[in-house]
Amino acid sequence: MIYLDNAATSWPKPPSVYETLGSFLQTLGANPGRAGHRMAAGAAAAVADCRLRLARLMNAESPNHVVFASNATDALNLAIRGLLRPGDQVITSSMEHNSLARPLRSVAEQGVRVTKVLCSPQGVIDRDVVAAAVSPRLRLIAVTHASNVNGAIQPIEDLAEIARHHNALLLVDGAQTLGAMPMDVQSMGIDLLAFPGHKGLLGPPGTGGLYVGPQVDLATFTPQRSGGTGVRSEDDAQPLELPHRYESGTSNTIGIAGLAAGVRFLEEHGVQSIHQRESSLTRRLIAGLEAIEGVRVCNPPAGAPQAAVVSCVVDGWSPADVGSVLDQSFDIACRTGLHCAPDACRTIGAFPEGTVRLSPGCFTTEDEIDAAIAAVAEIASTPSA
Amino acid sequence: MPLSGVVNGSTPMSVPGPTTQLPSSAPSLDLERYARQTILPTIGAEGQGKLLNSRVLVVGCGALGSASANLLARAGIGHLTIVDRDYVELSNLQRQVLFDETDVRDRIPKAAAAAEKLQRINNDVVIEGIITDLNAGNVERLASGADVIVDGLDNFETRYLLNDVAVKHGIPWVYGGVIASYGMTMTIRPGSSPCLRCVFPEPPPAGSAPTCDTAGVIGPAVETVAAIQAAEVMKLVVGDIGALNTSLLAVDLWHISLDRVPLPALNPSCPTCGRRDFTFLDNATPSQTTSLCGHDAVQVLPQGAQKLDLGELRRRLDPVGDTTANRFLLRFRPTGSAHELTVFPDGRAIVKGTTDSTQARSLYARYIGA
Repeated sequence: MIYLDNAATSWPKPPSVYETLGSFLQTLGANPGRAGHRMAAGAAAAVADCRLRLARLMNAESPNHVVFASNATDALNLAIRGLLRPGDQVITSSMEHNSLARPLRSVAEQGVRVTKVLCSPQGVIDRDVVAAAVSPRLRLIAVTHASNVNGAIQPIEDLAEIARHHNALLLVDGAQTLGAMPMDVQSMGIDLLAFPGHKGLLGPPGTGGLYVGPQVDLATFTPQRSGGTGVRSEDDAQPLELPHRYESGTSNTIGIAGLAAGVRFLEEHGVQSIHQRESSLTRRLIAGLEAIEGVRVCNPPAGAPQAAVVSCVVDGWSPADVGSVLDQSFDIACRTGLHCAPDACRTIGAFPEGTVRLSPGCFTTEDEIDAAIAAVAEIASTPSA
Repeated sequence: MPLSGVVNGSTPMSVPGPTTQLPSSAPSLDLERYARQTILPTIGAEGQGKLLNSRVLVVGCGALGSASANLLARAGIGHLTIVDRDYVELSNLQRQVLFDETDVRDRIPKAAAAAEKLQRINNDVVIEGIITDLNAGNVERLASGADVIVDGLDNFETRYLLNDVAVKHGIPWVYGGVIASYGMTMTIRPGSSPCLRCVFPEPPPAGSAPTCDTAGVIGPAVETVAAIQAAEVMKLVVGDIGALNTSLLAVDLWHISLDRVPLPALNPSCPTCGRRDFTFLDNATPSQTTSLCGHDAVQVLPQGAQKLDLGELRRRLDPVGDTTANRFLLRFRPTGSAHELTVFPDGRAIVKGTTDSTQARSLYARYIGA
């Protein structure tokens, strides 16, 4: 099988991830940070190890600024629901995944003012439009780093500058980028970074987290659940300190250990070199698809920054049918439709049918890309029934 | 008519009791209603009492199910549960005896329409209509407490699931199937007679067999098979085991033939009734449905890998709608329907024009065959 659905979940995983998941419960299956015995301490150490590696990977101020969550959606919900109050303004874009758009819609119903800026047909935010949309009650700018539909990368540093200037915070959805390209939360000016563990970080599903930067006032950043944390048990109030404030309940130790194995793989191979490799595959894929008659690629133009996510539409074919034929007749796994991002598909002119999305990963080969291009060419040359 | 999950009959009583010489107590029940059948020595007052105290589950309320439910409610089955996932459509009226044009116009679920109609026919019994897709997650609960199960299903996948449940819990069931002018029925008493898998070890692959929607069906064939099924239920309930059908009974109403195909002996190596391996129930990998993001479409992925002959399928579908094809797929639009089915060689289909997985599954069963 040729797996080109890495934007949804990366696959395969490094062998060390499988090995860790296979053995972890037998050796470190106890509850982390709740008891002093050796196995409990070992489980806590595994969680701490992952936190440390993630902090290094994104250049967080310290490991404690990394809060574990069950996925990027969970992290985005924590950030949005925990920070925004009725009357606050939040600026977002027309390229967002439902993981960001739906929590924003939900807080809008409670009185938060959500300002959505329209992106260019390539899917890029215009910083001047954002600057013009700022109101005195701006609390948050919440955007994706790279589109899960067409890979378009947003000008994060520009948005950080606007947020900083207005004493607001910047929340970034790093679902398509953390682990797949170098990221430095401090130099980029990111205050909150939501990330999944199962995509670029090569970990298992059910893992992820939220980076919470020092600009965030924890007293006004409300946890979405409270409970046991293993610290300050004598107090009936939720502790204030990171990361415990946002991590009540027994954490997903096995998943987090698997995630650490994924991050170790990234350390060994270098995120920069993985990024270069994926960029080269992406360019190859886009060039190949663009050369096919009847295929329209929906990505930003060559040379523009983009993640390894390529969307296209085939004349006369519905994306769902193309996806089924790719799976069925060519053994190629991809995703079709709106990609849980209807606004983004509208923005790039691919609504309501959506697109065929091919997303290479760090284990994808050039031969696989060429096979995918040939398969799409064969479909495009076949009259749709 | 409410579209809730469960539509209960209007009578609040559980199992009504008959009068006088009968075992139970509710004095108001008028047994005159059943006089013509209680005269039969094989039924009698005692048999009628058993019918009134029995619980029968009718799975599927299309042509077979509505015909047998009609006979059973009239015969005084005390508690009749009818399960179906579909809505009444115009093309049902030619043979599905419990429905009328009002049901079509109001898009009434079959289980609800049937329950309402039967309750008007016999308000002394409890009729329960349950609008659901029968699956491994609910079939045991629905079958629980049933004395007999009647097969009115339109697909093999669910029939094998039903066989598992019936054998597992020792509930007799009456298989029935009809296509064109031809029908078959067989009575299965787990442990005493061969089960479905003793006779047909494996279900036919999805898409390999004609369905009523592709090959057609006439009402008389349905009525004949349903009548035999209902009579078998009555015999099972009154306990006249010696009178039961012991063959695979096949009838053809057009060519007037009736064959009794002898059943094999109980097979100790039958995976279901011999080894008690209830694979359709326990390792349920039923046909999966996936709602396709933003497509107003549902993908139906049949059980197990298939190799479908799209050319053959197209020949079957041609008379009942528009078909087009290329070398990768077959597209089918049923006549008069807003839906479109795109079928691929492994048997999967994308059902367009719906986001309801139950409806997608139903369309799949009707046109492709599950």
